[in-house]
Amino acid sequence: MLKSMAIEVKNLVKYFGNLIALKNVTFSVDEGEIFGLIGPNGAGKTTTLRILATLLLPTSGYVRVLGYDVISEASKIRSLISYLAEDAGIYRNLTGYEYLSIVARIYFESKTDAEEAVEEAVKLSGLGERITDKMKTYSKGMKRRIQIARVFMTEPKLAILDEPTAGLDVFHAQYVRKIIKEYTSEGRSVILSSHNMLEVEHLCSRLALIHHGQIMALGEPQALKNKYGAPNLEDVFMKVVRAWGS
Amino acid sequence: MGKLRPLVEKEIKDLLRDPRIYIGLIIPIIMLPLMGFAISTAMSHVGESATRSLKVTLIDHDRTNVSRSFITLLDNLGLKIMEISDESLLKAIEKAKASGSQALLVIPQGFGESLLGFERAKVEVYSIVESIGMSSIGAQSTVNKILDASSEILSSMLISKIAPEAEPEVIRKPLNVTGYTVIKDRIISAPLQVIFGQLVIGYGIMIPLILFVLSIIVTQIAATATAIENEEKTLETLLTFPVSRYEILMAKLLGSSVIAVLGGIMFTLGFLLYFQGFFGFMGQEFRVEGVLEVLPLPPPENYALLAISLILSIFFITSLGVIIGALSSDVRMSTSLLGVVIIPVLIPSLLIMYGDIKNLPLFLQLLIYALPTSYPMIMSKEMIISTMPPEVLYGIPYSAILTLMVVYVTSKLLAPEKLLVLQYKLKLGRRKEKMKVRK
Repeated sequence: MLKSMAIEVKNLVKYFGNLIALKNVTFSVDEGEIFGLIGPNGAGKTTTLRILATLLLPTSGYVRVLGYDVISEASKIRSLISYLAEDAGIYRNLTGYEYLSIVARIYFESKTDAEEAVEEAVKLSGLGERITDKMKTYSKGMKRRIQIARVFMTEPKLAILDEPTAGLDVFHAQYVRKIIKEYTSEGRSVILSSHNMLEVEHLCSRLALIHHGQIMALGEPQALKNKYGAPNLEDVFMKVVRAWGS
Repeated sequence: MGKLRPLVEKEIKDLLRDPRIYIGLIIPIIMLPLMGFAISTAMSHVGESATRSLKVTLIDHDRTNVSRSFITLLDNLGLKIMEISDESLLKAIEKAKASGSQALLVIPQGFGESLLGFERAKVEVYSIVESIGMSSIGAQSTVNKILDASSEILSSMLISKIAPEAEPEVIRKPLNVTGYTVIKDRIISAPLQVIFGQLVIGYGIMIPLILFVLSIIVTQIAATATAIENEEKTLETLLTFPVSRYEILMAKLLGSSVIAVLGGIMFTLGFLLYFQGFFGFMGQEFRVEGVLEVLPLPPPENYALLAISLILSIFFITSLGVIIGALSSDVRMSTSLLGVVIIPVLIPSLLIMYGDIKNLPLFLQLLIYALPTSYPMIMSKEMIISTMPPEVLYGIPYSAILTLMVVYVTSKLLAPEKLLVLQYKLKLGRRKEKMKVRK
């Protein structure tokens, strides 16, 4: 069992009917690393994250998460990871506190551990007294905060975050980024997808540029900028796409 | 701490607080008694108005002492008579209408002669229908009752004239029929007609109807709950939790069943209140326990079998609801797909309620016995008056196997890989249908 790598993906292929979503995707994420997947809509970011979260099955290829195979050992993976979908919804009629409490009781065996985790998550959400309000009354930013709190409350070894700050205002987005950064300082890993190149540049130690289901470039943000002679990741991305096209 | 418990808690809390669910639960307990009250008020008003202002127009062509006495008798029995002179039938009807009479009575010539000659005397009744309503029917019924009563009085008078010593009632009804009803090993001192209403309405219709409504509620709740998960995008997150698909499904089944049982209780209460109101007007007490007082209760094992059958039936139908909800991308779609499940359940339920299964064609019998939802209905109907039929007993293991299969298939379906493909295919199919309709 490989423990040093949080994620290991080799030649991952995914078909939806006749449509190919991922073509021989290969990358790895080390333990304690924040890894970013960047690319336009429909590039294959969400499909990759869903496979890692054991929601979708790979058509072919080798995918291991925290040393476990995503097909045959999916249940083991689920107890070690936490997944945040891009458009993750909330249970409108539950309060934020009830939601966190229910999730904590699923993840933690002991009642005390669950209660402590909920208290931590309540603080992490920063929702204050609104935590006891029904979630249907929450703003988009508040909903995302409660989801982020839920993700990190369970102390996962790997957090899989699909567009964690999408649609959030600058205050909420900064808050979420701060939490992600703090979380990995404890030696845990994060893989996230984003459209926001600046966010990825600040957060991720390494990243992969994905387009049309293929990884086009992979490396540290600074190394990629140096390689393509670009001042920022946005320009790197544009140059890579053009080079790929030609 | 079991993982199922928080999931069930989530289901129940989320469902009970959802207006789409709780409004549906509250409606029967408000609407049904209101309906019962409205019907009974309307009916009692009809009864009162029918007796209060019962007016008839009368033409006496006979004009004998006998016909005059007959008119006095009708008057004494409560008819408000407006007598008009000898004229054509059409004109008489016009006059009757203009005066607001409910009927025109015509006593033909020879009426008195016929009666005195011990022959049947003719009276013509022209019922005037001014509206198609209960008041019109009520008025006509009262006119007929008064004529029947007068006929009985005349009959007694004629009998007394022929045989002064005889008892007119004995001559009219020489047979003293005393009815008993045999159910199981018990002889009940009441004719079948007396307890038939309670048996048919209580056990033949009401209990199967409640079970049917319970099936509908449970399917609807399970489908809506799962469709909401799809619509609100919470199912995807739920499926990444360290819980098995089976536990997620069980939580949905248990949560929906608890809410459905609550809904069933609400409906039963509403239904009983509706019947109280309805039968209250008719001067009958609607009491299901009336039959229970005279009938021996079924043995406890029958209740146990009924409970097992009911649980299996609820799990079966809830699983179908979860499948519908899982395949629907939103609540609207699940509502339209629900008909696919409800109609096949509705037809056997109606057959069980109103028919005798053994007399039905074979394919309908097979349809009834193919559905686990039929068995508790048949059991509740049969166990009170007969021993449990063997085919119903065989139905329990059959229902258990079928339900397990459906639960297994449903738990396998709760995988995004399969759901995405199936939802896509369903959407595509519906789009094609819409295109066809437009063309």
